[in-house]
Amino acid sequence: MTINYIMQQLVNGLALGSIYALLAIGLTMVYGILRLINFAHGDLMMLGAYVSSIFISATILPILFAVVIPTLLMALMGLIVERTAYRPLRGAPEVAMLITSLGVSRLLQNSTVLVLSPQPRAFRLPGDLTQTMNVGGIRFTQLDVLTFLLVIALMVLLTLYINRSKTGMAMRASSENLRAARLIGINVNWAIGAAFVLGSALAGTAGFLWASRYGIIDPFMGFLPGVKAFVAAVIGGIGSIRGAVAGGVILGVAEIGFVGFLPPEFSGYRDAFVFSLLLIVLLVRPNGLFGKSEVERA
Amino acid sequence: MRNIQLLALGVSAAMLLAGCSAAAADDEIVVGAVYSITGSQASIDQPGYNGFKLAAKQINESGGINGKQIRVAFSDAASETTTLTNVVSELIENDGAVALGGTNDSTLALVAGPIAQAAGIPFVASGATLPTLPEQVGDSMFMACYGDDLQAEAIADYSTEELGAQTAWALVDQAYDFTTALNKFFQERFTASGGEIVLEDSYKSGDTDYSAQIARLQALKTQPDVLFVAAIPNEAGIITQQIRAAGLMQPIVSGDGYDTPLVAEVAGANSKDVYFSTHVSLESTDAVVQDFVTAYTEEYGTAPENAFAALGFDTMNLIADALKRATDDTDPAAVRDALASTQNLVAVTGTISFPEGSRKPSKAVTIMRIVDEVTTFVETIQP
Amino acid sequence: MKSFLTRKNVVLLGGIVLLVVLLGVADATLNNYYLRILQLMGIYIVLTASLNLTNGFTGDFSLGHAAFMAIGGYVSALLTMPLAARALQLADLPAWFQEFAMPFPLATVLGGLLAALVALPVGLVVLRLRGHYLAVMTLGLLIVVKSLASNWEPVTRGARGLSGLDSATTLWWAFGWAVVTVFVVWRLVHSPFGRSMIAVRDDSVAAASRGIYVFQIRLIAFIMSAFFGGVGGALLAHQLTAITPPTYSFDLTFLIVIMLVIGGSGSVTGSVIGAIIMTIVPVILRDLERRFELPGVSQIIIAAALIAFMIFRRQGLMGSREMHPSTWFMKKPATPVSVDAPQQ
Repeated sequence: MTINYIMQQLVNGLALGSIYALLAIGLTMVYGILRLINFAHGDLMMLGAYVSSIFISATILPILFAVVIPTLLMALMGLIVERTAYRPLRGAPEVAMLITSLGVSRLLQNSTVLVLSPQPRAFRLPGDLTQTMNVGGIRFTQLDVLTFLLVIALMVLLTLYINRSKTGMAMRASSENLRAARLIGINVNWAIGAAFVLGSALAGTAGFLWASRYGIIDPFMGFLPGVKAFVAAVIGGIGSIRGAVAGGVILGVAEIGFVGFLPPEFSGYRDAFVFSLLLIVLLVRPNGLFGKSEVERA
Repeated sequence: MRNIQLLALGVSAAMLLAGCSAAAADDEIVVGAVYSITGSQASIDQPGYNGFKLAAKQINESGGINGKQIRVAFSDAASETTTLTNVVSELIENDGAVALGGTNDSTLALVAGPIAQAAGIPFVASGATLPTLPEQVGDSMFMACYGDDLQAEAIADYSTEELGAQTAWALVDQAYDFTTALNKFFQERFTASGGEIVLEDSYKSGDTDYSAQIARLQALKTQPDVLFVAAIPNEAGIITQQIRAAGLMQPIVSGDGYDTPLVAEVAGANSKDVYFSTHVSLESTDAVVQDFVTAYTEEYGTAPENAFAALGFDTMNLIADALKRATDDTDPAAVRDALASTQNLVAVTGTISFPEGSRKPSKAVTIMRIVDEVTTFVETIQP
Repeated sequence: MKSFLTRKNVVLLGGIVLLVVLLGVADATLNNYYLRILQLMGIYIVLTASLNLTNGFTGDFSLGHAAFMAIGGYVSALLTMPLAARALQLADLPAWFQEFAMPFPLATVLGGLLAALVALPVGLVVLRLRGHYLAVMTLGLLIVVKSLASNWEPVTRGARGLSGLDSATTLWWAFGWAVVTVFVVWRLVHSPFGRSMIAVRDDSVAAASRGIYVFQIRLIAFIMSAFFGGVGGALLAHQLTAITPPTYSFDLTFLIVIMLVIGGSGSVTGSVIGAIIMTIVPVILRDLERRFELPGVSQIIIAAALIAFMIFRRQGLMGSREMHPSTWFMKKPATPVSVDAPQQ
């Protein structure tokens, strides 16, 4: 096992982890306020990827459209989902929201199947963003670098936004204590809406990035990455944006490391390993790396 | 409160009584089509079902069988075992199917088969390539396709003889019967002809990131001559793309899981030097193949997506041929006997005969090659 | 000592006799397809009623029921597999394993017991979590079990799965187990233990302060639920006559959760009703799909109905009330037997 091999696997892990991180940011913001594991988050990524695929085939428009339009549309979609499915459940047991989000997830997947087709389709990014570069024997693509930088930039911007802006303050107050926030006159629905809009927009962007990286999209592509992003958010400490980024990167590196450094026979246990990791983190450090302590994990 | 309880009861009772389908009329023969047009099997089952329907339509347009029209009874099996068993049972019991055809997955065929076997209804598996399928299920189970042993051996032979390979890397999807079987037969043949498997790596269908496995392959001191990938269509393209993007340029060899436009579409310029075994080359100039391609294109507005369309077409024709020869086309046992004695039926995927006592045809294997997004015919290997 | 022939017991006995008669009539008149649907209904009742122990009564929302089903399914399949199929499929296992085929009823129980045995250490660990974390961890358990099933080649045969099982799950076994499950769950819930479960669900801190061993209660409920989950898995394996890793999917867990939610988690009769409805509705919808050639629509309708249910009637059809046949013959409506709907 050479240094080169270790570095290569590390880079692979970082690239995968960056996309997990992007999804985890969105999940963590929503969870922080509503205590809702949004199982439909990964499906918004899937929808984003489909929207994006329309724009990459239209060669007249610049590639930027394939990123911006799905991001905006998914922000809108997130708002619609929040309004129609989650808002009526405000104050309901958290399990009710969890079940609802599973329902929303199924609804989005199967609607895509019905409207488009269950067949996977190719997603080919024009230009050389996905061309492999070789730096000192380590291979990665421009897109990998771009994704990583984007995640870091978003982490900084969103942290600033949440700490400095009015809406951000409302969001923090709501996540601290929803009822108290409402009592002191904070528009809680606005704060929750903002969290959904921002989180879902990031899912849309992630859809573009995921599809560009792997080159194929299908209606069921979002569910497992969505669940893994939740795992990442928990590892980092749920509710914390830098925690989500750290968790995403750690999960990506750990997952690739698991496949890359153990004998090939273990490759099939990849997802089992992800959940074992989650269990260990929850038992040893229930609040994750950057999480604030809660009385009970409930 | 009580109303709701009564309502619930009433609704359930009403639902139980509803939904009885009509049995077969005298002037038609019901043939059941068992395909999953939603779920993970959809990308190969949808073309299969289209081929199946097309064959039935052609038969009906040319006067039907023994003066009767064929009615294809179909209900989506949704790529899921419980639904599949319900569907098979429904087609037999409620639709009165005299024969069944379909399924491109061995695991699903092993679930569907025993139900047909117990009811004495012949079942022709279109694309389920488990070689022991007929023996495992019983005398009602037939295959329209060859077994995985044949195609794996063909591509192994091609690798050693034509590509001059002495060493190979194997990447196997652990989630499918088809991929693990293909891998087993490939390795047996490859090592028997003096080759060496330098590394076997695995993944699970649904994974999208193969960078770890590929990095391990690249870290090998001596690079293998060929890369053998046992994958289903959904992952064939993405694996090819990632292997090539990593700068590995050895020939990739695989089975009929690679027979999908997704390889060229997903991998794009990276889809080069890919060799795979399949059931038929749709580019073949053979009249039977060309007529099928033309008819399919006319009917569905698109060329056959892959060889599974042809297998579906052949499955229906195989059943129709048996119905014609059966002593009584309403008696499943007679149809079964007629199927078992099928000889030299000219089909799109090659001439089908069932050797005495075997319900698996011995057919030629086609080797195809993908270069720069274009799939071309290489050769046919006779068993 | 009270006489055995109380009004309650008469109704209970009458109900069982009625069920036996109905099943007998069904068995004699219906074709194999409808019998198959009815068998599934029995299996789903076993699964839903048992999932209710954790998800409904103790308030531990588990998404891992299919994991216990898989354990029960694989164990029973390995035990009952006919010798011929065994020689073909399990040649790698020791010789003593090639030489016996256990009767189905015993294998079903053993499948359930092993699922319960696995639930003990699993429960000791994952029940330290609650709410969402528990839900995701039990989903993780399902993924771990499925990974094992796909990779433990010599025993599970990986993706190929085990096939050629006897189709041993008859209408009688399915509904026999359904009756047993409902009876056990009912007795459990309407015992001091059951009231402890509900107390733990409604306010675990208060329950603990009243001297209830909260963790112990949750663990026992989890293990009981796993046992019947394993039994249900064994029944399903012997209905399908084959068992592969994808059979025990997240979709299956989700289906059982839907049944529970629609019937009303917190009500035993509710889970029976939920299971019955959600066995029949997909069949009807599939019929409509067929008629109008719209594959996939039923999934959308079910998902949309679930969301609507959560918004407009999240306590399910029954809430936490029970349908009490013994009260049907009284003049006065009975007072609710258990506490009000859960407000966690």
